[in-house]
Amino acid sequence: MKHWILALAFACIGSMGLAHAQTAPRLSIALSPAPGNPPSPEMGNWMHFRSVVRNTGAAPAQSVVAWIGLVRVDAGHEQPMDLEDWSAHKAVVIPSLQPGQSFTTEWPMRLIQNGDYRVVISAAERHAQRLDSSPFVDLHVRVKPTVESRRILPVAIGVPLLLGLIAGLRLRRRA
Amino acid sequence: MNSIRLIAAKETGELLGSGRGLGWLITLAVVLSAFSLLLVGSTELSLLDNAQAVYMVMGTITALGGLLAVVVGSDAIAGERERGTLVPLLLTPVSSTGIVLGKMGAQLAAWVAAYVVALPYLWAVGSSGQNLGAAVLYLALFGTPLVIGFGFYALGLSARLGNVRNAMLVALITLILAASPLVLGPSLRQSGIGKMFDAVNPFSAALNAFDSVVIDSDPFGMQIGRLGVVLAWLAVTALFARASARRLEGT
Repeated sequence: MKHWILALAFACIGSMGLAHAQTAPRLSIALSPAPGNPPSPEMGNWMHFRSVVRNTGAAPAQSVVAWIGLVRVDAGHEQPMDLEDWSAHKAVVIPSLQPGQSFTTEWPMRLIQNGDYRVVISAAERHAQRLDSSPFVDLHVRVKPTVESRRILPVAIGVPLLLGLIAGLRLRRRA
Repeated sequence: MNSIRLIAAKETGELLGSGRGLGWLITLAVVLSAFSLLLVGSTELSLLDNAQAVYMVMGTITALGGLLAVVVGSDAIAGERERGTLVPLLLTPVSSTGIVLGKMGAQLAAWVAAYVVALPYLWAVGSSGQNLGAAVLYLALFGTPLVIGFGFYALGLSARLGNVRNAMLVALITLILAASPLVLGPSLRQSGIGKMFDAVNPFSAALNAFDSVVIDSDPFGMQIGRLGVVLAWLAVTALFARASARRLEGT
C-alpha cells in the first residue's frame, strides 16, 4: 500500500512538472546584422544588430530581460568583452510577451578594438529555469589608426622644444 | 593713443618679450603636447574621429586661453597696487579707459601667441582634414571674444577687489563654472536648468559652435545666436572693466 501511495505521489509531481514545462513561456531569439552596416568594419565604426525575441510557448512571458554579449575569440586573447566603451545599450526589459508575440530591438555598437568577435543576445524570463540565447553573429574588426602618430609626435615634441630654444636664446642675449 | 600703445608694449614685453616671460607659453605647449600624445596613446581616445579630436583640442585651447586671461587680468590693477606702481600709473596722462585698453592690448597679444602655438596641434590631430579650416577660423572667431571677455572680467575684479589673490580666486571660480560643459556630458545639460545655463553661458556657446561647425558641418547661419552670446559677454565685461577702472580715478 505504501508503495502505491509513493508511486502515485511521484506520478503527480512528475505530471505537474510536465504540465509546467508545457505551459511555461519559451523564447526563441534571432539575431542578424542590420542592413547598412559597413561590409568590412574597422575600429571606430558603428554597427547595428537586430534581434527578434519571440515567445514560442503557450504561456505569456513576464519581465523578459534581454542583453547583448560580446566574446573575443582571437587565439590567445579569448575573453568576454566589457561593453562599457562598446555600447551604452546593453539591456532591454520586455514587460510582457504573449504567446506568438515578438519584440524587435536594435543594438548599436561601436567597434573599439580590432579582432575577431562573436555577438550574442541572451534573454531571461522571470520564472524561467534556463537562459535563452540567439545564434552567434561573427564579426571581424580591422585595425585602423585614427589619429596619426606621424603628425602628432613631431608637433608634440617639436613645438615645446622650439619655444624653449627661443626662450633660451633670449635669456642668453640679455645675459 | 600713444600712451595706450606704450602700456600695451610694456605689458606685452613682460609676457612675451623675455626668456622667462615665455615660460607660460612653453607650459601651454607642453600641456597641448601631453594631450595630443594622450590622443595617440589611449585606445579609446584614438578612436575619436578626427573632427572630434579637433573639437577637443579647440575646447582645451579655449579653456587655457581663459585661464591665461584670468591670471593676467587679475594682476592688471591689483598687482600694480601691491607693487606700489598704481599711483604713478594713475598720475600719467592716461585715462582709466586708456589704462584698461593698454592692459588688454597685452592680453590680446598673449592670446594671439597662444593661438599661433595651438595651430600646429590642430593640424596634427585633424589629419583627415574634415573642417580643419573652419576649426582654425572659428577658434579665432569665438575664442578671441570669449578669452578677452574673461580678461576684462578679471581686470574689473582686480580694480574692485584691490587684491590679486581675491580677484584671481573669484575669476577662476567663474571660469571653472563657465567651462564646466567641457567636463559635463551633453546628457547632464538636458535638464531645464542645464539648458538655461547653456543659453547664457558664453563658454557653452563657443563649445556648441565648435561642435556644430567641426563635427556636424553646420553653416555659419546656425552660429549667429551663439556668436551673439559671446559678443554680449565681451561687451558686458568690457563695460564692467571700464566702470571698475573709473572708480580708481576717485581714489
